[in-house]
Amino acid sequence: MASAGIDDVRAWILGRHPDRTTIAPDENLIESRLVDSLSFVELVYAIEGASGVEVDFDTIDIQDFQTLSSIEKAFFATTRIA
Amino acid sequence: MTSRMVSKLIDQDDRFLGILDRLTTKSIDDYYNPYKLFEWPQSLPAAMWWMSPELTTTHGTEAAERLTQEQLYALSRHESINFYSLNVHGIRELLIEVTKRIHTTGFETPSEFFHHFIGEENEHMWFFAEFCLRYGRKIYRQPVGASVEIPRSHVESLLVFARILIFEELVDHFNSRMALDERLDETIRAINRIHHQDESRHIAFGRELVTVLFEDVKRTSSDEELKEIADYLRRYLTFSFESLYNPQVYRDAGIENPLDLRRELLESPARVEFERSVFRKTSKFLEKTGLI
Ligand SMILES: [Fe+2]
Ligand SMILES: [Fe+2]
Repeated sequence: MASAGIDDVRAWILGRHPDRTTIAPDENLIESRLVDSLSFVELVYAIEGASGVEVDFDTIDIQDFQTLSSIEKAFFATTRIA
Repeated sequence: MTSRMVSKLIDQDDRFLGILDRLTTKSIDDYYNPYKLFEWPQSLPAAMWWMSPELTTTHGTEAAERLTQEQLYALSRHESINFYSLNVHGIRELLIEVTKRIHTTGFETPSEFFHHFIGEENEHMWFFAEFCLRYGRKIYRQPVGASVEIPRSHVESLLVFARILIFEELVDHFNSRMALDERLDETIRAINRIHHQDESRHIAFGRELVTVLFEDVKRTSSDEELKEIADYLRRYLTFSFESLYNPQVYRDAGIENPLDLRRELLESPARVEFERSVFRKTSKFLEKTGLI
């Protein structure tokens, strides 16, 4: 569901890190090792699944994937309610 | 790990030195001109398997039962283009890493073999890319974030060569089977056969080098660090295997919800069996050396 959007992405990341219960919107996902090169593609697929939009691998800007809030801005901006 | 220590370990290892010699000689004897070797027909028939059906991601799953024979052929075509695309990207990454190390401290002795390795990989990359562009009209992309960063510097070389080995063994599982599969077109069998021939040398070399590098790392690392290496390599095995399941492939084969199909296939019982068979030899080697 597109409206759940960023919450789905957060849940997906948390699902892979049972030691964590929350992720702050501006926490750096890569520095904190919540996402690394081996899970990056899966993160892209999780975003595609949650947003319903196909991400173009050729034009990916790694900056868009740094934090939950940058992901939200890049991929869910139009569906943001609160 | 200290580079000088690695040099010393290699130079005292008669078994490794003997193998290096034999593999280098074989590289010279088996040398071929890839640019003249293949025939490259205008097109390959669409209504046949492009990949051994047992090696496709839908094999043995409920999803396969929902597809027509024609769809399964199309899927095998796109999956084969994906497989060769993975080779192109994997080779780019390994060429970068091996090129960084040739003729540097620690790698004096294997550098002679690195020349053959780099030369051969460049040629492999060419014929795989050629196949994709001729018969698939594209190379499937990899997102930039997936080009692999190395977690910790003093074990960097070990992880680099362990990754190369895992990648080459995965590919070889496919090559060795498809080279012999009479259901496949001769062009497909030929590239798989030629690649398998070269990769037998690379894999034999990789196993020796990884063993030596690990010997050094083992001595200088804590249990905690060794566990981290094992965890990383286990994740790398899964990552490599799952890259065979490309939603773009399912989309190109006309499947409506590619991400849903991917998830269904990854969660299917057939996946467990498939993964086990792909990495049967690799896991055995990694377990035996104590890497995982
Ligand atoms: Fe190769
Ligand atoms: Fe190779």
